[in-house]
Amino acid sequence: MPGVRRLARIAVLIFALASLAAAADVRALIKEIFPIPSATGNEQFLAAKIAGFLPKSAVLSADNLGGVYLKLGTAGGPVIAAGLDEFGYVVSGFTPDGYLTLDRAVPAPLSIADSFLLGHPVVIMTKMKPAYGIVSQPSMHLLTRERRDQLAKDLTLDLVFVDLGVRSESEARAKGIEILDPVTFWPDLTTLANEIWSGPALGQKSLCAALIAAAQEMVPDRSSAADIVWAAQSRFPARGTRASLGMTRVRAKSGATRAIVLDTAAADRGPKSPVLGKGIVLLQAKDAPSKVREAIEAAALEKKIPLQYHMGAESPLMAPFVSDGGDAVGLALPVRYAGTPSEAVSLKDVQALAVLLAEIVREGRLK
Amino acid sequence: MKLRRPLLLGAAFFAAGSAALAQNPFSEWDLFRQLVMIPGISGQETKVMDFIQADLPKSLKVQRDAKNDMWFTVGSGRPHILFVAHADELGFTVDKITPQGLVRLKGRPGFLPQACEARPFVIYTAKGPVEGIMVPRPDFDAAKPQPYAPDTYEMDLGPETEAEVRALGVAEGNPVIFKKHIVDLAPGVAAVRAVDDRAGCAALLAAALQTDWAALKGRTVTCAWSVEEEIGLNGAAALAKVLKPDYVFAIDTFVSSDAPLENNRFADAKLGFGAVLRALDNSSLVPKTELNKMLKLAAAHSIPIQVANSRGGNDGSVFVAGGAVDIPISWPGTYAHSFIEKIDSRDLAALTALIKAIIADF
Repeated sequence: MPGVRRLARIAVLIFALASLAAAADVRALIKEIFPIPSATGNEQFLAAKIAGFLPKSAVLSADNLGGVYLKLGTAGGPVIAAGLDEFGYVVSGFTPDGYLTLDRAVPAPLSIADSFLLGHPVVIMTKMKPAYGIVSQPSMHLLTRERRDQLAKDLTLDLVFVDLGVRSESEARAKGIEILDPVTFWPDLTTLANEIWSGPALGQKSLCAALIAAAQEMVPDRSSAADIVWAAQSRFPARGTRASLGMTRVRAKSGATRAIVLDTAAADRGPKSPVLGKGIVLLQAKDAPSKVREAIEAAALEKKIPLQYHMGAESPLMAPFVSDGGDAVGLALPVRYAGTPSEAVSLKDVQALAVLLAEIVREGRLK
Repeated sequence: MKLRRPLLLGAAFFAAGSAALAQNPFSEWDLFRQLVMIPGISGQETKVMDFIQADLPKSLKVQRDAKNDMWFTVGSGRPHILFVAHADELGFTVDKITPQGLVRLKGRPGFLPQACEARPFVIYTAKGPVEGIMVPRPDFDAAKPQPYAPDTYEMDLGPETEAEVRALGVAEGNPVIFKKHIVDLAPGVAAVRAVDDRAGCAALLAAALQTDWAALKGRTVTCAWSVEEEIGLNGAAALAKVLKPDYVFAIDTFVSSDAPLENNRFADAKLGFGAVLRALDNSSLVPKTELNKMLKLAAAHSIPIQVANSRGGNDGSVFVAGGAVDIPISWPGTYAHSFIEKIDSRDLAALTALIKAIIADF
């Protein structure tokens, strides 16, 4: 039946083109949100950007930390949540000759995180616009052996000074910089082969992009049964616990007992670690039956999206949802060089995550 | 709480940081901004030389030697004054591609090793530039990792096989440099890799473009752009075999201690305070009489100038054995041999003015 075969070929072509269009959307979203600083406690710029991507008809609200909520389900229904915030620093002071000193607001993702500052540009986000600085390092010609050893072994924030190209504190302040302004790495997006992109905090930004892409597909039909949240201060610990403050707030505001929590997973770190480009990672505290997990697996099967499994993951992001018997499962994006200024993600993984999330909610699989 | 949707400009919001100032094709600052972005590691400076030669007037007889040093000479008689700025920059070359698709690099490029870790670099292949990441230390995510001191630097380009990497055009010997961005810190103050010595190249080129060579009388002036300074003054050494100047003005960075992690006991020339007479470094000591002559010249031309001592060598030193007096002239540059070499346009303007004053009146 040549007619049927022809129709089948056309259908395949249409599907392929649709997939390409969706992939292009994820790329565009990542490019749009990647440069926007969103250090913990300073997520307002990214929150506003995300809100701008959602249809005007979407019912949006915020919590008092700055998290963005897209209402799609009923009160107490399931949520899908991602953090809004990336690791960053804050301005802790000005030297008389115009340099900035830095502090951390949240724990660093790596023990060597501070060493990545040395000799590289940073962005200081003021109230209205970014300012640019470079982190001082010694000139190689003037470097003593003692200083070289100190920088190699024991670099601390005591040795980190941000150079703004000015000569006095007053000139530095004239740039609009204030104490506690967020400081993040220069947003340099690097394109590798095999549809891999790399840059600082690219894992977190890609999660946000995947969730935006999924939300854009869900809003029009309003049949979804889950709320979508981009949580502020997800990296800040709730007092006295390991649990994420931002996700604790999401749990309290939504009343959800079922949740999909989006996270990143360090990829290519050994035989048992997730692999970049090989699918989304399902995270669970223990390998146990779960309605949420069933929904994810059914959607993945439907969309032919490969899942990688990582059990025993005690994620601070999931903790608020599982602490009192809730049903929460993590979906993580594999990230190579996680926590470095060159986090690498596979666009195939990001796209798969967006498709998977859209399928889960569009089909009401969490109901 | 209802979420507000404030206007936000997104990616364009951040473009301002690397926006160029007003373009003037003959100003040293605009020439510098163009030159600094051209890849040209030691031994592979052709693109830099081609850019400079294309800008020079056709009336100047430009020569190149087998090493790719480039120069022109104008005038006749004594003194013979030589200016030399080096066109090369620090970098690696591709040494080997592993079966797993990692690219091993050759060279000890003179950067702080940890500044390279997990940072983007670019390989310039016959098919065009290919971006990759410098692979971090194996235990980068450990609680107490080993210091980053690789015997061999490796890049991750994305592919997982040698064949895929070769299909990108990558081959042994390709030059590899840090992925550059010009960071505009303040008006006329910028930081970028390879200010050393593209700023010197730009100052010499701007001076050459702004000089009325037909008016030159009673002296010989040679303007040269050398190769392979960073790996042993090799280009200048080749030039010294054919050029026998009375005075050589090496135009290169004055490695300044005007920064918070430095000791200001020496190398104390401040950014924004003018050109520098590099009176003493590891390769040359300028006679006091010549220093005084230079200070008088600068004063006569109202050129802000500083005198200081620093570290490092300069191309001019290889001409001394042939009878030349070496007078290195500079701008004060902080963070030398880093990815954030900082420069103030006022200093570069003063340096360009100083070169023109020397051509006319030294």
